[in-house]
Amino acid sequence: MNKYDENWEQQINALLDGELGKADADDLKTAATDDRDLARAIVEAYQLQQVMDDIPVERAPASLGKRLRAIPREQRRTAGPWLFQPRWVTALAVVPLAIIALNLMQPDTPSEGEIAKARQELAIAFAYLDKAGAMTGRGIESTVGDTMSDAITGSVNRAIKLQNETYKEKEV
Amino acid sequence: MKRSMMSKIMVGLFCALLSLPAIAQEDELKDLPGYVDFGDLSSMYGEPKIIINLGGTMLNFVGMMSSSESPETADLISKLKGVRVMIYAIEEKAEAAKSQFSEVKSKLKSSGWEPIVQVNEDDEQVLIYIKMAGDNMEGMTVMVVDEEEAVFVNVIGQLNPAELGKVMEALDMDMDLDI
Repeated sequence: MNKYDENWEQQINALLDGELGKADADDLKTAATDDRDLARAIVEAYQLQQVMDDIPVERAPASLGKRLRAIPREQRRTAGPWLFQPRWVTALAVVPLAIIALNLMQPDTPSEGEIAKARQELAIAFAYLDKAGAMTGRGIESTVGDTMSDAITGSVNRAIKLQNETYKEKEV
Repeated sequence: MKRSMMSKIMVGLFCALLSLPAIAQEDELKDLPGYVDFGDLSSMYGEPKIIINLGGTMLNFVGMMSSSESPETADLISKLKGVRVMIYAIEEKAEAAKSQFSEVKSKLKSSGWEPIVQVNEDDEQVLIYIKMAGDNMEGMTVMVVDEEEAVFVNVIGQLNPAELGKVMEALDMDMDLDI
């Protein structure tokens, strides 16, 4: 078939399939009369088709067909309700996790009781700071006397206050 | 196999989500430059009688609550990022507390804290340190030990001691600490 272009091959196939028009079939026959290779190609293709047609087709036993057709129905039965199918179980498990994640991302808003407790704790912390201040004042007082004590503690407070005011100005 | 892997991922994710708040709370203060690690005296004195750990979020809420009554208090609180207090009852056994003071003092000095006031008497010792970053105060540390208790206070953020009295009044707390 090397000598022939694809057109001949298509025509041979169409001839065997009974799809070739009468005019084209006559042309092909005329060409095959003059061309032995083409004639042999047509005969070989015809013989191949005969062989293929002679191969017996085994049909599946009726019981096997029945069983195969039953598989989709059985699958639906064993899967249980749609809610328990794996994809829905996974989807439902994601819901609480998403709620927890969203909850954690929200700023934790304390209750009024918690804020009141924090307020009290802050006051305790400040009271201890105040106590430390009083103790340092007393310590300085016992060492250098009352007037100097006021001057020293006052200057410390002023120094820290000045730092804070500078910070406040920067903020403004 | 596929489902088992999915379950493991789900459980891992769930555990990670649950541990997030605890980690975040602890790290909120520890990472701040004004934070001080006071160590642990519980082996000597038992659990502290008072432990206070107020983070920036809670302080914001306290500040917001105070803003209508006292804008000054709200302003002072708004500059705080954290307040920590640890108080141990020492029952006249001050040596361990004083030794802890020395350790904390060395740590403070090596990390850029400046001593403001120091009182060393037989029956009481007071140390006040502040940490500055340029003109800004990053924290204040106060340690007091007397015959009854060892007090560790760490204020993280800006604090003006001169305004403490006013804030105490505004917070409406009558504290008597047997000074």
